[in-house]
Amino acid sequence: MTVLKWAVILSGLYSVVALTYLIFKARSFGRRTAYSTPQGSPSRGVIYALGKGMMPWEKESARLHILTYMGGMLYHIGIFAGFGVLLAGILSVEIPPLLREALRLCLALGLISGLGLLLKRLLGPHGRRLSLPDDFGANIFVDIFIAAALVTLSKPEVTFFFLAYSIFLLIYIPAGKIRHCFFFFYSRLLFGLFFGRRDVLPVRPVER
Amino acid sequence: MSQDYSKDVPLAQRLERLGPDSYKTAVFRLAKTIDAPSAVHLESCVRCGLCAEACHYYLDDRDLRSIPAYKLNLIIRVFRRYLGSGGRLASAWLRTRDFDDGEVREWIDALFGRCTLCGRCALSCTMGINVPALIRKARGLLASMGLVPDGLASTVAAAEETGNNMAITREDWLETVSWLEEEVQAEIGDPAARLPMDHKGATMLYVVNPREPKFYPLTLTAAAKIFHAAGESWTLPSTYFDVTNYAYFSGDDEVAGLIASRLKGEMERLGTKTLVLSECGHGFSSNRWEAPEWLSQKIGYEVKSVLQVVADYVRTGRIKLDPERNPKTATLHDPCQLVRLGGIVEEQRLILKRAVRDFVEMTPNREKNYCCGGGGGQLSMTAFTARRRSAGRIKAGQIERTKAGVVASPCHNCLDQLAELNKYYRLGVEVKSVIELAAEALVLDKR
Repeated sequence: MTVLKWAVILSGLYSVVALTYLIFKARSFGRRTAYSTPQGSPSRGVIYALGKGMMPWEKESARLHILTYMGGMLYHIGIFAGFGVLLAGILSVEIPPLLREALRLCLALGLISGLGLLLKRLLGPHGRRLSLPDDFGANIFVDIFIAAALVTLSKPEVTFFFLAYSIFLLIYIPAGKIRHCFFFFYSRLLFGLFFGRRDVLPVRPVER
Repeated sequence: MSQDYSKDVPLAQRLERLGPDSYKTAVFRLAKTIDAPSAVHLESCVRCGLCAEACHYYLDDRDLRSIPAYKLNLIIRVFRRYLGSGGRLASAWLRTRDFDDGEVREWIDALFGRCTLCGRCALSCTMGINVPALIRKARGLLASMGLVPDGLASTVAAAEETGNNMAITREDWLETVSWLEEEVQAEIGDPAARLPMDHKGATMLYVVNPREPKFYPLTLTAAAKIFHAAGESWTLPSTYFDVTNYAYFSGDDEVAGLIASRLKGEMERLGTKTLVLSECGHGFSSNRWEAPEWLSQKIGYEVKSVLQVVADYVRTGRIKLDPERNPKTATLHDPCQLVRLGGIVEEQRLILKRAVRDFVEMTPNREKNYCCGGGGGQLSMTAFTARRRSAGRIKAGQIERTKAGVVASPCHNCLDQLAELNKYYRLGVEVKSVIELAAEALVLDKR
């Protein structure tokens, strides 16, 4: 078991290093100096992009697809809960009963949401044709991870499988779309800089 | 000239001319075109498809190819094939593609024919991907291969070769301005009213859309009347007067830079302090935001939209407007390049609220407004006319719901598209520019 735990840690390290490499690789394409004079505040744009700008009332797409938005939020909460269970497993920490129940709820909702999003991608009007095999794969791999974490909470005897599976997932993360876990923040940052600079976002108070 | 626009050779023939080397060169250029922000955005799309309803093309035809994520992924699959990580190893899993004839044809149809670069999808994107910036880069790659669709190619070529996109000669321009000056003087009964030409040391250099002297002289005289009423120190340039820059839409940064540098040259020649841009969405984006980047230098003068200038006159009382002179209910169409991508949002509202008796907003409005369908070079690309008109249905519906009698917009591309939609969808509205409405409401002091 100790060897397996070290293997998980090493996989996690590999994942972080590979994701960092991908970020640096993207940065290596070079950034040009912005010569135009800003009209608004880039920093306010960034704060908006990483905060209020992600709220459903700020984004039409989230408002129109509120169930998908909520599903996405719960899915990601479930993923974080799964990593919480993984960390506890590696450190051999006993999870307090109340926290265990909270994790169980998060994982269950996350799993349902993940499967729901998978179904939407499969059955939605354009989801299947818009998607790559990687999109389905990533969803299924993460769903299995959440499910394994959920089972592990009730049946500690499957911890071995959960840890072994986590190695696979951690190694897969940088290879496919799950890399967005790193790129998301960078992309939102750039979004905030662009629209903040141009004084488009955050929206100015209306002049009367 | 950076590439062969071949305005006399149809796009279909230009496509036939391509050989294997053309694609290899294009991929090499792609590597040079992509910068870090583009690479980050290209790695970020999760194909959630939530951007679909942000696009007026998709709202109209519900076609997969109109979904912004689909258009973006045309670029992603080529980017990953040649420049991404694991693209060659996992090509089936990531569905990467070779950049070949089939791919190029799909790019032209989707990236030129189903996108106005309006940027509405960027605001809706969960990841915050700047989709129009990436599509513009991809258009630039096609431009480098000489594959800009007919119409847009010839518009860019006309600007490059003659100095303005309608190939108006200097003589015609000077003659038109002289004639318009007489018109303004007669109309307001003041021989001191001028349309000054090449007035060195004036505070403002005013540049216009060639459509104004050619087809809509009233918008030029409207601005002249307002400047006169405000006692402004301004001038028109005798040589390069074109506010537009269609290379912004073709994606060709080299030609865009050349066009932008001409206005910079006029500013320096005349020693003016502020470059004032007439009502033009992409003209604003090009000259205010992109020109310094194309020229790789800070520009030593201010660049303003005429809306900012006139709104300032209104705020400070330099001009007086009487809203009773515009009694019909008016609504406002926000040009994407000026508002969502330009940051000029409230100035036009301030002017209209003082210039018309009854002003109503469209829903949605401001940065969330729908594109009218005339941007992105669509008006010049006749191959996509039917699609443009059809997608304009979304804007037509917005206008109809306001029950307004007048639709104002501070952009000549938008005005042309709105006028066409007005006829096509029988909206029964008057289509006017914001400055025209302001000039109609202008209260002139007897001097």
